[in-house]
Amino acid sequence: MSDTTQSKDDDQDKTIYDELPDAPPKKKLKLTWTGKLGVVIVAFWVIMVVIGPWVAPFDEADIIADDSYMGVMSVTEGEGLHVFGTDYLERDILSRILWGARMTVGIAFLATLLAYAMGVTAGIAAAVKGGWIDMVLSRVNDAILSLPTIMLGLLIVVALGSSIPILIGTAAIIYASSVFRIARAYGQEIMVMDYVESAQARGETIWWIIFREVLPNAAMPLATDFGLRLVFVVLFISSLSFLGLGIQPPAADWGSMVRQNLEGMQYGSLAPVWPALAIASFTIAINLIVDDISAKSGGDLAKKMI
Amino acid sequence: MTESKENLPTINSLSGADREVIETGLRRGANRREVMSWLIAAGASIAGAGAIVTSATEVLAQTPKKGGKITFASDLHGPSDTLDPALNTSTIDYSRGRAYYNSLCQINDDLSTRPELAEEYSANADNSEWTFKLRKGVKFHDGSPLTADDVIYSMSRHYGEKSTSTAKPLVADVKEWKKVDQFTIKAIMMGPNADLPVILGTPQFKIIKDGTTEFQTANGTGPFRLTEFKPGQRSIGMRNEDYWREGANAEILEITAITDKVARTSAFLSGDIDLMQGLDPKAIKSVESTPGVGVWSVPAGGYFGICAMTNSSPGNNPDFVRALQYIQRREKIVKSILKGQGTVGNDHPINISYGADHCSELEQRVHDLDKAKFYLKKSGITQAEVNVAEVAPGMTDIVLLAQREAQKIGLDLQIKKVPNDGYWGAVWMKTPVNVVTWNMRPTANVMINLAFAPDAPWNDTLWKSERLGKLLVESRAATDPAKRHEMYCEMQRLISVGTDDMPPSGMVIPAHRNYVDGKSDKIEGIGRMPLGSLGGYEWPEFAWRTDV
Amino acid sequence: MQRMVIERILIGIVTLWVVSVLVFVMTSMLPGDVAQIVLGQSATPESLAAYRAERGLDQPRVFQYFAWLGNMLTGDLGTSKAGGATISSLISGRLYNTMILAAIVAVIAVPLSVALGLMAAMYPGTWIDRSLTFGTLALISVPEFFIATFMVLIFAVNLGWLPAIARVAPEDTFWESARGLAMPLITLIIVVAAQMIRMTRAGILNVMNSPYIEMAILKGVRRKRIILRHAFFNTIGPIVNVIALNLAYLVSGVVIVETIFAYPGLAKLMIDGVQTRDLPLVQATAMIFCGTYVILIILADVAAILANPRLRNPK
Repeated sequence: MSDTTQSKDDDQDKTIYDELPDAPPKKKLKLTWTGKLGVVIVAFWVIMVVIGPWVAPFDEADIIADDSYMGVMSVTEGEGLHVFGTDYLERDILSRILWGARMTVGIAFLATLLAYAMGVTAGIAAAVKGGWIDMVLSRVNDAILSLPTIMLGLLIVVALGSSIPILIGTAAIIYASSVFRIARAYGQEIMVMDYVESAQARGETIWWIIFREVLPNAAMPLATDFGLRLVFVVLFISSLSFLGLGIQPPAADWGSMVRQNLEGMQYGSLAPVWPALAIASFTIAINLIVDDISAKSGGDLAKKMI
Repeated sequence: MTESKENLPTINSLSGADREVIETGLRRGANRREVMSWLIAAGASIAGAGAIVTSATEVLAQTPKKGGKITFASDLHGPSDTLDPALNTSTIDYSRGRAYYNSLCQINDDLSTRPELAEEYSANADNSEWTFKLRKGVKFHDGSPLTADDVIYSMSRHYGEKSTSTAKPLVADVKEWKKVDQFTIKAIMMGPNADLPVILGTPQFKIIKDGTTEFQTANGTGPFRLTEFKPGQRSIGMRNEDYWREGANAEILEITAITDKVARTSAFLSGDIDLMQGLDPKAIKSVESTPGVGVWSVPAGGYFGICAMTNSSPGNNPDFVRALQYIQRREKIVKSILKGQGTVGNDHPINISYGADHCSELEQRVHDLDKAKFYLKKSGITQAEVNVAEVAPGMTDIVLLAQREAQKIGLDLQIKKVPNDGYWGAVWMKTPVNVVTWNMRPTANVMINLAFAPDAPWNDTLWKSERLGKLLVESRAATDPAKRHEMYCEMQRLISVGTDDMPPSGMVIPAHRNYVDGKSDKIEGIGRMPLGSLGGYEWPEFAWRTDV
Repeated sequence: MQRMVIERILIGIVTLWVVSVLVFVMTSMLPGDVAQIVLGQSATPESLAAYRAERGLDQPRVFQYFAWLGNMLTGDLGTSKAGGATISSLISGRLYNTMILAAIVAVIAVPLSVALGLMAAMYPGTWIDRSLTFGTLALISVPEFFIATFMVLIFAVNLGWLPAIARVAPEDTFWESARGLAMPLITLIIVVAAQMIRMTRAGILNVMNSPYIEMAILKGVRRKRIILRHAFFNTIGPIVNVIALNLAYLVSGVVIVETIFAYPGLAKLMIDGVQTRDLPLVQATAMIFCGTYVILIILADVAAILANPRLRNPK
């Protein structure tokens, strides 16, 4: 119910203020071919999050192959074909990558979204409200941010145990603090810009300014950061596995798969390369989309100048 | 040993030029196979070539070269690195201990002992009193002479309420250390114990200067003098020119650690370090295919164990334990996880490495899902959780393998991976099902006494068998080999199978692991004593470079 | 301005204290204590008690914290509860190693990435932009331990050009140190530069979007001037922030690089401290990390204010 009234107001706002000379430029997203490629790849992995376990040839925990570090397209008699070969524990790599999408992509998305929800809210609030709210939020944030992520992760995960909700929560808290600083810095920059000042002069409420002025203008750099942050969460979880924490075995996540199979690289096995490629394909795709968004909004003008 | 070789050629039967070729080849790091192929190509029989290479290696081994620097990288170090022998717990500490200190007795590769600082030691008729005569003229690094007071002080650190020694239980049966004169010490035992000399050869019983309380440096009698010690980084030692015997071969000894096993292997493969501890079985193939480096593998009695605590469910149900024992794919573990560097276990700690005390009559338990299913059904248990830390390389994988087998018999075996730090204090012996690893101990008696005796502080599963306790004490005094073997056999059967009125210990021991380390072909003089890495940490004094 | 800096320093001291409380609370929640960890598998109730008594661990934890705080305020960092060495002796060499590594990376990576970011922003959508974007993405999209191990395999194991580990020693010559540091440096430059390049680009493109730049374009101001004069200065705030965060990361967060190259730095020391529950050691490293962070952020804020006059007189 409230939604409809809200959107009515929004429409009204739009019609009124779109004509104002200080309104932010309109943005319409049109993807380039790289952006479209990004969408395809991300869509593929999102689908795998849902159906991965059913399309995978083996179970992620099956220890069935003839040998560890078998090559690409090798066959185990009576079991089947290992398209990407096998890992250090004689498990099928392709199957583990498909299963792992659930852990890696799922956890990264949830944690990053949560981090953004917390970080952006707090950061923009601090920038807009200022005063003691800014003070308290910034001090708590500084304390968290000043400690290395891996150490915070170590402390929280060792103290509370390594389960999926705890991993998501840990990553979210850690990255919310970096989001906070960036969101706050952008918020402050924008707050002193002309159009915000004139909005304030018009007597707009603080929340109107946040939703209509600050967020749309900070959205683009924050979206760029979102892409990177997503990458960092994936890498953060894998760095926890570097310390022997992280996802519980035998569940597969891509970061730990890279880590556990590194020895294979010493004699030419591609076992760690496949999950690394899976991580890279996903994170690059996300960032290609993000880049299109930023190139679109800032690019038109810049292009005019060339 | 030498008898069988008498009719075969040796290195000495070759012409001077041929001999030169082979010796140089071996010194440069050609491996045995390569040299043999030269000899066979030149017309020698396989047996003959083998004998020549063996004798050539022995000749080389007898003439160590002096000089150069040896760099050793262990697997673990940190701020807790210590030069206090009584507090030693890790390979890096043990190896340093061997470089800067000495023991009373030294352990041979076959686990017998030879004199070290005690030039003579003997027991009375029933092994209840041991006398140690100290070598004269031995000097600590600060120049002061070694006397009985130093030994008494060193031993006193393993007793009393204030002692933080990690080896306290090993010498708990010595009632008193008594100074007889300036160079003679007596150990008065509570009961007979023939194993005292070999226990005193283990790392914690190194001799330090009387009254030492600070361990920022190492004032010992050992073959190296400490010149730099940075906990968690490295230590450097220089050869001790005033050493009381032949002494170290290397001029400089650097002991460090590279915690990450992949990085450690890379550093070893690229020649940055000469010796590495803890070669991951996964990396064996790459070491073998790299020229100039080799695998140093010593079969031993150390083991992986899954502990089902007998004081709580499900471990208090012997049928559950039996099911867990029958799902173990022991051969597969040795082949796939340990890459052949280990031996199958029979759910008790005493494997073939303990020689005569190993019970070969006891039937080897094999993978049998039907039996496992039968016992699981009888136990009525369908779900259990194992707390796993990677206490030794391969531990997690062993439990993962068990998990898949458990699924086949309808047991939902969940794995809870926990970090290594804090594991021994918070998880081991505290959660219903957990894992353990033990290094080999000098004797079967010490091993069983530490981990299975009813009053042992480290009884993994809190399994209390009074019969076992009785056998342990009696076997120490047993002099008849057949009788002794029978007693040890009964102990192993108790632990593994149990009896009608005594359930098995709750320990599942699927495999024993070799010590698998890496050794550059340029380093010789590494022994095969099976109580620790690289020949039981004995190498610092004897290792030498072939390329100096 | 001066007042602001002094204010910030005072705030920084408060942050340091907040961190020390945070570290204390969090380490108290960890399973096991230093005695259990040091004695490990061979601990007995008696030896644990003896160890705790010897190191003062049998006193209440809160008491231990205040004892530490008191000593800290007089400049005494205490001794390690795990090994018994003084904390200052454990830290001194490693602090130098960490700072050297961070400084070299910063000197190379900061100008490089700001320049590349500017370049990408000047020509968005062109091949320069695309290849920079793709290159930075590809490099940060795989775990750093993968890149590091891959480089070790190629340059140390296969080619033998560089040592596999960076064990810097006082007796090393300049050339030896340079060879040892080469691979950790490259790994870290890759990791931090990629993020700084992307944030610089995004920040500038964002400002290019604002009405006053449009005004400048319409007025016919030259392109180079617009970017370097107007856009860049208005973006300095956020860019400097990203740089500061990355520099702080170089001091405190490079545990994987330190581990893989066996480089004795502070980050690994802190992890060791946490893993052995060695509270004085963890606190000391946390204070260093937090202090570095506070100083960097103050510098970043000062730079942002200097670059944007509007921020100088906040309403």
